Amino acid sequence: MSTPDPFRLEVLRHALTGIAEEMSFVVMRSARSPLLREAGDLSSALTDATGQLVAQGRDIPVHLGVMSFTVGAFLQRVPAERLRPGDVWFTNLPELGGNHLPDVKAIRPVFAEGRLLGFAVSLAHWADIGGAWPGSYLASATESVQEGLRLPPLRLFTADGPDEEKIAVLLNNVRGPAEREGDMLAQLAATATAERRLLDLCATHGAATIEAAMAALHDRSEAAMRAAIASLPQGVFEGEDFLDDDGPGGAPAGIRVRITIEGETAAFDFSATDDALAGPLNTTPYVTAAAVYYAMKAIAGPEIQPNGGCYRPLRVATRPGSLLDPPREKPLVGGNHETSQRLVDAIFRAFAEVIPERLSAGGSTTAGLLIFGGAGRDGAWKTLYEPHGGGEGARHDRPGRAATRVHLTNTNNTPAEIIEAEFPIRIERHALRPGSGGAGHHAGGAGTEREYHVLSPEMSLTTMFERRVIPPWGLAGGEAGAPFRCLLRRPDGTEEELRGKANLPVRAGERVILQTSGGGGYGSSD
Amino acid sequence: MAGWQVGIDIGGTFTDIVAARGADSGTAGEAEFRTAKVPSRPADPVGSIFAALEAIGIAPDGIADLVHGTTRVTNAIVENKLEPVTLLATEGFEDIIEIGRQSRRDLYRLDVPPKPAPLIPAERRIPVAERIAHDGSILRPLTATEATIDAALAAGTRSVAVMLLHSYANPEHELALAERLQGRVPYLSLSHQVNPEAREYERCVATVLNAAVMPLAAEYLARLRAELPGNARLHVMHSAGGMASPEAAAERPLLMALSGPAAGVAAAAAVARETGEAALLSFDMGGTTTDVALILDGRAEITVDARLADQPLRQPMVAIESIGAGGGSIVRHGPAGLSVGPQSAGAEPGPACYGRGGTAPTVCDANAILGYLNPRRRLGGTITLDAGRAAAAFAPLAEQLGLPVVELALGVLRVADATMARALNKITVERGVDGRGATLLAFGGMGPMHATGLAATYGITRVLVPHASSAFSALGCVAAEMSYTRQRTLRLPGEGFDAARLAAARAALLEELSAPLLAQGVAREIIAAEETGLIRYRGQSYAVDVPLSGAMDGAGLGSAFEARHRALFGFASGEAWEMIGLRLRVAAPRNLALAPPAPEPAPPRPFATDPCWFAPGAPLPTPRYERAALAPPHRLVGPAIIEDDWSTILVPPGWSATARPGGHILLLREDA
Repeated sequence: MSTPDPFRLEVLRHALTGIAEEMSFVVMRSARSPLLREAGDLSSALTDATGQLVAQGRDIPVHLGVMSFTVGAFLQRVPAERLRPGDVWFTNLPELGGNHLPDVKAIRPVFAEGRLLGFAVSLAHWADIGGAWPGSYLASATESVQEGLRLPPLRLFTADGPDEEKIAVLLNNVRGPAEREGDMLAQLAATATAERRLLDLCATHGAATIEAAMAALHDRSEAAMRAAIASLPQGVFEGEDFLDDDGPGGAPAGIRVRITIEGETAAFDFSATDDALAGPLNTTPYVTAAAVYYAMKAIAGPEIQPNGGCYRPLRVATRPGSLLDPPREKPLVGGNHETSQRLVDAIFRAFAEVIPERLSAGGSTTAGLLIFGGAGRDGAWKTLYEPHGGGEGARHDRPGRAATRVHLTNTNNTPAEIIEAEFPIRIERHALRPGSGGAGHHAGGAGTEREYHVLSPEMSLTTMFERRVIPPWGLAGGEAGAPFRCLLRRPDGTEEELRGKANLPVRAGERVILQTSGGGGYGSSD
Repeated sequence: MAGWQVGIDIGGTFTDIVAARGADSGTAGEAEFRTAKVPSRPADPVGSIFAALEAIGIAPDGIADLVHGTTRVTNAIVENKLEPVTLLATEGFEDIIEIGRQSRRDLYRLDVPPKPAPLIPAERRIPVAERIAHDGSILRPLTATEATIDAALAAGTRSVAVMLLHSYANPEHELALAERLQGRVPYLSLSHQVNPEAREYERCVATVLNAAVMPLAAEYLARLRAELPGNARLHVMHSAGGMASPEAAAERPLLMALSGPAAGVAAAAAVARETGEAALLSFDMGGTTTDVALILDGRAEITVDARLADQPLRQPMVAIESIGAGGGSIVRHGPAGLSVGPQSAGAEPGPACYGRGGTAPTVCDANAILGYLNPRRRLGGTITLDAGRAAAAFAPLAEQLGLPVVELALGVLRVADATMARALNKITVERGVDGRGATLLAFGGMGPMHATGLAATYGITRVLVPHASSAFSALGCVAAEMSYTRQRTLRLPGEGFDAARLAAARAALLEELSAPLLAQGVAREIIAAEETGLIRYRGQSYAVDVPLSGAMDGAGLGSAFEARHRALFGFASGEAWEMIGLRLRVAAPRNLALAPPAPEPAPPRPFATDPCWFAPGAPLPTPRYERAALAPPHRLVGPAIIEDDWSTILVPPGWSATARPGGHILLLREDA
């Protein structure tokens, strides 16, 4: 197996990345739930035969980081000998290179010239995966099984077609089965497209060349990442940040990292992080690694082609029993987008003294999530899954932007005109939140305000957001941004501030008013 | 004699002109065709037009129709040279233009702002007390109108945009505001007219952009109108590849946002109809960008999802995929490997081989190093190519990579091809078509030189270099049908499909779109209408374009939709569907002879033979031919180069070139 020349490597890099991007396009255009088609809560990747990430779409960093592990862990459970052309396996187990139950991964092995060439993986956030509460975010959960259906790797499709019985079990245990089935078919279609494209590529270049290119791309990214690490100050740096609470209540929970930059390698030790939490803010070592990968790319090497090799010079350690490596029965639905963002905050804060000019101040590092569940305008059961951006943290050379997603997440909002046509909800207001950016030499970006007016007799509401208690931090003397807030206003005019992790019924005439956090400022105000 | 049909495309560097008049107009004389290229005068576009007319010896009063493709609107948006606008928006939603969809452009970069700056600052966003529901019912009547209008006028801009929620379902409030503003501000854009579809952010941006280019477009068109003497009818090329009257273009200048590229695609569509090519991929490679589009059965695909400068436009436009790779694109070796573009040496200083001070290695320099560009020919009569400077620009990178300069140049072309192939892939994938069976239609300054390389990378075996390939957008202005396109929101569920409502909506739209054609004296019988239904499964966000032909009843539409969905996404679920919109295009053909007179078919003789590199090792002696000397049935076998003053057609080993009727050159891969 000889290494392709640099030009053919470039040709294949374009082709492989194009395939991953095409997969995401297929899911977004053919999926049924607004969460996928409007918000784009999905990601796509190609891996080599060992499960190392080779190419990714322009999707969501936390997904992409996790997918670096998914196939490798899958292969531990399902040996390669059991895989057949035409198989598509589905899994969502957090401990199997996963993050949380709603993120369902469709994994298709791709065979070429009689051997396993690699995998196409389509990750999609299902708007419901069963469990105790519509939308599968149970704020008071104390066990993983309360959060929904746990899917060990299941071969739902083979070359002969769908496995109707298994699919029926799955669809009988989720809300909105028709919508879920549509989303599942969209993932299936995406992996089928990827397989077709990979086989075309093999026909042109030969499978051996593709394999050699995959290996060469890993090596190149590894070298680039080593150089990027070497550009950082050497030494040991410690950072911490806190989650607002452990889910249903409790004190802020500490995330602590000790970073050792030594030559061309970097080690991230999270052992000093607090113990596993009672509620759903735990997460997995894979999400922890995804946060590290994101932070290192953002700080040191945004241009590096993200793939398995990119991450080789990085070491990530978590302590079993901690909230980053909890016992498998622990709940963790919120950890995927709340705790993961706090990990990035802790890493950034570790570097705050030494390289502030490479960072941005704390931003609205939360999914800022509201989930409404109930009958849609067409009578069918639906969930409206609404992630909310806020202010970006300021930088040494510019203010933070208002109303944007930061760091590990990158979902869209859903237009008011779409929500109102499909759900018994009226959006009364969607505006910037004035004065919410932290002051500083450069101010943090403003958060937003959105007011939901409930029109049907009763709907379920879930909140899952952070930065309500501990606001986005300022950098280099800048001030913190305004904290996240969510109010429930009743028809009689009384108001109640909702907690960041809550499940409650909401009724006709009630209004849910969300104010997202502003970004932290940079430098002291002049 | 009948009057001339003139097409003019004003680009950043050159103004192209094409003029034709037919022999079928009942008068004596032969069909005539003329074309020229003159330097653009950026400060004086009207002057550019007169200079171009002079270059082909046509007096303004000899013109019957002048069709104009312009980049003025495009450039204003791309360069952010926009007129200040005041926005009137539903109270509580005036910040939508800044909030956007919240997502950011680059996942990992902290140094660049995550999204573009808002088009309108907060102080010029005026709230309007009113509210309409998704079904068009009025939740809160429009009140305090005078105070609102006063606030809008106090902002002091010449142009005002109005964006009220759900105005596509009921435009009453927007129209009421318009009535009060009429005559008090010179320029007004209403969202339900600019983009009558749901999604408030995108509609708002489109409306504001329209308002922001209105003064510029209106004044330009008025000046053109005033200075164009005689009885010439003026038309503007719009982004869907058809015509608009100057009046319509001044009202909706956003329709011209892709005017220039759309003209090229219109010409490609005309070539597809003329030659009978069922699937054509147009490949327009210029100095800084490459535009590709898909043409099926003589029709360019239309989309409303086009973006320009990261902003949604929401207008029916030719589905063009544009990428930042062209002849001037700079070759760079970074952490992600070797890349081509999007940084460009531009027109100034240009590639190193132009000898105008450029030192960065570019794609054009790679062509010079490999011997493809003729060093004895002055490009456009002005630029002499210097391969030595190109090699000097490549030397540092070659040394860094440990490769001979020639090998690096060959590699750079492969990387450029791979970059452009992704654009081809995107445009075909999004339409559910396997592009490898298509013919690549190459035009633009660099297209004919790169076409075979791109075709080989992508798996295409047929390349057509059309007649007038270097003034192709101007040709498109003449070749395009007289056509108008419009899209309307129309929500009709599949169950109990209301075919009568569809028919009524279609009839109303047909009448509206035919009016300008009828006013220009087109006979109603020759106006062809083509309708497309936008259909989706209930619960999907994006609709599929379904051509409406024959019986437009529920059953027929349902099965047509399912077939289309299966072709695009590989499955169809048989679930409930709904129509959400109707698009209508009306067109009247123009029958013109667009081919040059064919030269005497004497056997072609090369005027020179130069060494050219096609692979590492040794160069091959490569004969050069004048393009004008080729006529059917001439056939050349690669390696060969066919050139004129403006472009170079590369015929590598393994390819042949055949002169075709109509002045086209067909390149075929012989070793496929």
